[in-house]
Amino acid sequence: MMTVKLQVTILLALAVSLAAIVNMIRRKSLELKYALSWLFVCFALAVFAAFPRTMVATARFLGIDAPVNMIFFLGFCFSLLIIYTLTVSLSRMSIKMRRLTQIIALNEDRIKHMEQQLAQLKEEREHEEADSDRLQRPAGESDQPGI
Amino acid sequence: MKRIVIIPAYNEIESIVSTVEDIRDNAPGFDYVIINDCSQDGTMRFCTQRGMNIINLPVNLGIGGAVQTGYLYAWRNGYDVAVQFDGDGQHDAKYLNAMADYLEANEADMVIGSRFINKEGFQSSGLRRFGIRYFSLLIRFLTGKTVLDPTSGMRMVNRDVMKIYSEDYPVDYPEPESVVTILNMGKKVLEVPVIMRERQGGVSSISAGRSVYYMVKVTLAILMERMRKRRERGL
Repeated sequence: MMTVKLQVTILLALAVSLAAIVNMIRRKSLELKYALSWLFVCFALAVFAAFPRTMVATARFLGIDAPVNMIFFLGFCFSLLIIYTLTVSLSRMSIKMRRLTQIIALNEDRIKHMEQQLAQLKEEREHEEADSDRLQRPAGESDQPGI
Repeated sequence: MKRIVIIPAYNEIESIVSTVEDIRDNAPGFDYVIINDCSQDGTMRFCTQRGMNIINLPVNLGIGGAVQTGYLYAWRNGYDVAVQFDGDGQHDAKYLNAMADYLEANEADMVIGSRFINKEGFQSSGLRRFGIRYFSLLIRFLTGKTVLDPTSGMRMVNRDVMKIYSEDYPVDYPEPESVVTILNMGKKVLEVPVIMRERQGGVSSISAGRSVYYMVKVTLAILMERMRKRRERGL
């Protein structure tokens, strides 16, 4: 059975992990949505460590002889679940990323063309202004004959 | 009729000029757009300097994402017909006008340039041909339609399919899967005979080691497409 020393060590480790997770959520480095599963793990392990008899009872309920095997088994299942949800969110992310990349590329292209058009318009306008300046000058000074 | 050629390019610096010239000379009714998928060989600068119409993806998306960008471009710019065309010199632009005429005359949604109608030109290696025949059989089994060259990268589509593909297109090895998508939607897919060359530059995306992945992935993708259709019908 679990020694008190081990119980204290596990609880301390869990307290540190919990503090780290909470701190990450507080700094918005970790989304609460994804942190929930980790918080749940912490909580479940804390219950088992603080009250080892719950662990034995749960193992018996699940029909597992050695409580330690239950820990391994459940830990494994839970890890798989977390990895699975990660691949799901990764797939969603990659779809979003692909669309964003495409829109950025197309918009860059539009910006390039707009800039070219703008430069062209500016040039045309400068020409027009230069022309009208010349027209506004008194007739005698004009270099264009007939005006 | 506004028509455009979509040329996905990844490290095609050796063959891109001849591809664009081929289109300019032999398919005069077509605009073109190159989609540069983060080439490492300076394709981007090379094309920009020559004043080619090129779109630059800021991060590498793979062939599916690049081609989809082309469809999105075609859709947004109001093109009536868009055709995928490899930048590595495998495809011949002289077929494009005939393909477009065929598409319009038969009111088809997609016209595939097929190597296996007249069995002329570069026919791919034996093992690959076997794979293509397998996909062809699988598609016939699942959709009842015959597509002799489902892996052909030379495919012309109308505005309907352009929209479908700009919204949803497979990431890698997209051809067979995306044909099944539109077949399931009841779209009309036809084939015309073309002669393809062996690639002039670049490397095939399907190396020996990846061919197993290719077969498994595309088979599953086609089956999934089929299941999607069934679910939609059930609703």
